[in-house]
Amino acid sequence: MKVGVIGVGCSKFGVRRDVTLQEVAFEAVKEAMTDAGVSRDDVELSVVGTAGTRSYELMPAVPVNEYCGFAGKGPLRVEAACATGSAAVYVAYSSIKAGLVDVAIAIGCEKMTEVDTATSLAVGGRGGSYLWEFHQYGTTFPGHYAMHASAHMSRYGTTEKQMALVAVKNHRNAARNPKAHFQKEVTLEEALASSYVAYPLRLFDCSPISDGAAAAILASEKKIKELGVDNPIWISGVGYSSDTANLSRREDYGGLRATVNASRMAYKMAGIDSPLKQLDIATVHDCFTIAEIMAYEDLGFCRKGEGGMFIKEGESDFGGSIPVNTFGGLKAKGHPLGATGVAMVYEVVKQLRGEAGSLQVDLKNYKGLTHNIGGTGHFGWVFVFEV
Amino acid sequence: MESRPFVLKHMLPISRVERYWKGLEEGKIYGTRCQSCGASFYPPQADCSFCYSGDMDWVEIDGEGVVECFTRIQRPPQGFEFASGGYVIVVAAFGSFKVMGWFKGEGLPEVGMKVKAETGKDELGVWKVYLTPL
Ligand SMILES: [Zn+2]
Repeated sequence: MKVGVIGVGCSKFGVRRDVTLQEVAFEAVKEAMTDAGVSRDDVELSVVGTAGTRSYELMPAVPVNEYCGFAGKGPLRVEAACATGSAAVYVAYSSIKAGLVDVAIAIGCEKMTEVDTATSLAVGGRGGSYLWEFHQYGTTFPGHYAMHASAHMSRYGTTEKQMALVAVKNHRNAARNPKAHFQKEVTLEEALASSYVAYPLRLFDCSPISDGAAAAILASEKKIKELGVDNPIWISGVGYSSDTANLSRREDYGGLRATVNASRMAYKMAGIDSPLKQLDIATVHDCFTIAEIMAYEDLGFCRKGEGGMFIKEGESDFGGSIPVNTFGGLKAKGHPLGATGVAMVYEVVKQLRGEAGSLQVDLKNYKGLTHNIGGTGHFGWVFVFEV
Repeated sequence: MESRPFVLKHMLPISRVERYWKGLEEGKIYGTRCQSCGASFYPPQADCSFCYSGDMDWVEIDGEGVVECFTRIQRPPQGFEFASGGYVIVVAAFGSFKVMGWFKGEGLPEVGMKVKAETGKDELGVWKVYLTPL
């Protein structure tokens, strides 16, 4: 039994002081329900993905679920740090795949700006293993990726300029996405002149602290036929992996093993052996610019160490060998943790349906990929979608 | 409108790895090694995640370390206001153990730099490892 996405929605990302968590989730759910053309009665299971802690609502699944009209249909609350949204999609997918339900909704939502930046850093820095990292050394999330950047630069000669080029590309895309946190372009000079947050990562190497939500409605093949949905996007590959909590227990800092393993699992299931030839679009986890460069390599878009050249040569831009993060990526569209993985599904579904407007990629294979990482490779999720 | 204040402060149960924390006060850094399968753990742990044995040896980590990665935190998180000028975090390999520590040296370290490990406590009295260039 195949599982397809029949409806997607995404709120405006940004500093959303105007809405509560449930209100911003509602924006995404309302759009997804309209998009799918289903009624609340059709939805049998609600999965709420939210990383939490930065929002005043500490047990948020129930209020979000009720506000969105699904009281009694779940909710299952899932958390996988920055990959929470993908974990929510997986729970919806696997419940349908197992034959337990025919229609499920994955709601990813996050309010991150209800606390100040120092508090937000202290929550993010607790990703990993608190006692041995944050407690002793004050690790921060930018710091985790900055440590990987230092190893990548040293080993492969990756430069700050190459990292800044990721920011330039993703801001250029976000400038044309009305739902993006930053709808403005940045120049290479501006990016390189910004101050360091965690050396060697500068402010423009980092995704912003964002609020937002996204929703995806999934259905069984049988239900899709019954409903007469004419544009389902099928989930043809699913891969997941993870890595050690403690960074000091990693073999290597030049990439993320969770990406390699999750992608190979998804590729095998979807029959992908040459991603650049078979995929039309990829959304990758660019919480920091170095993360996008490592993702090119770990997903097999280029060889290890060549990610810096991949961005420099324009291979991940429109017209390149695979357009990456066409809606602006986490870097410029924003990164509300629980929403991010579901918003990636939103982007790939819009692209594969040909509904991406001025950001539309050329479709040849009608296949796309989402790559969502939690923490610093602490969770890894890859999905392959096809028409 | 603001929420009611909410303070979260946890008690840390460290009794099973107390040797580690005592060691830091004595200038020693300990990892653990499984007596049954030989797996090494740093940070130390009392149980083996690979063979499920609970028989561990405490192993002192010393000698020469090699820097594998580092960062300089310019924007400290809540709880590190005392280090508002920033601090450098390093992971260095000491044989089969990799150790995180604060860098105690001029400027920034480099990947591949040789370091030695010392212990000490910060302004808030938290014991930790410091890595100094050799
Ligand atoms: Zn063992």
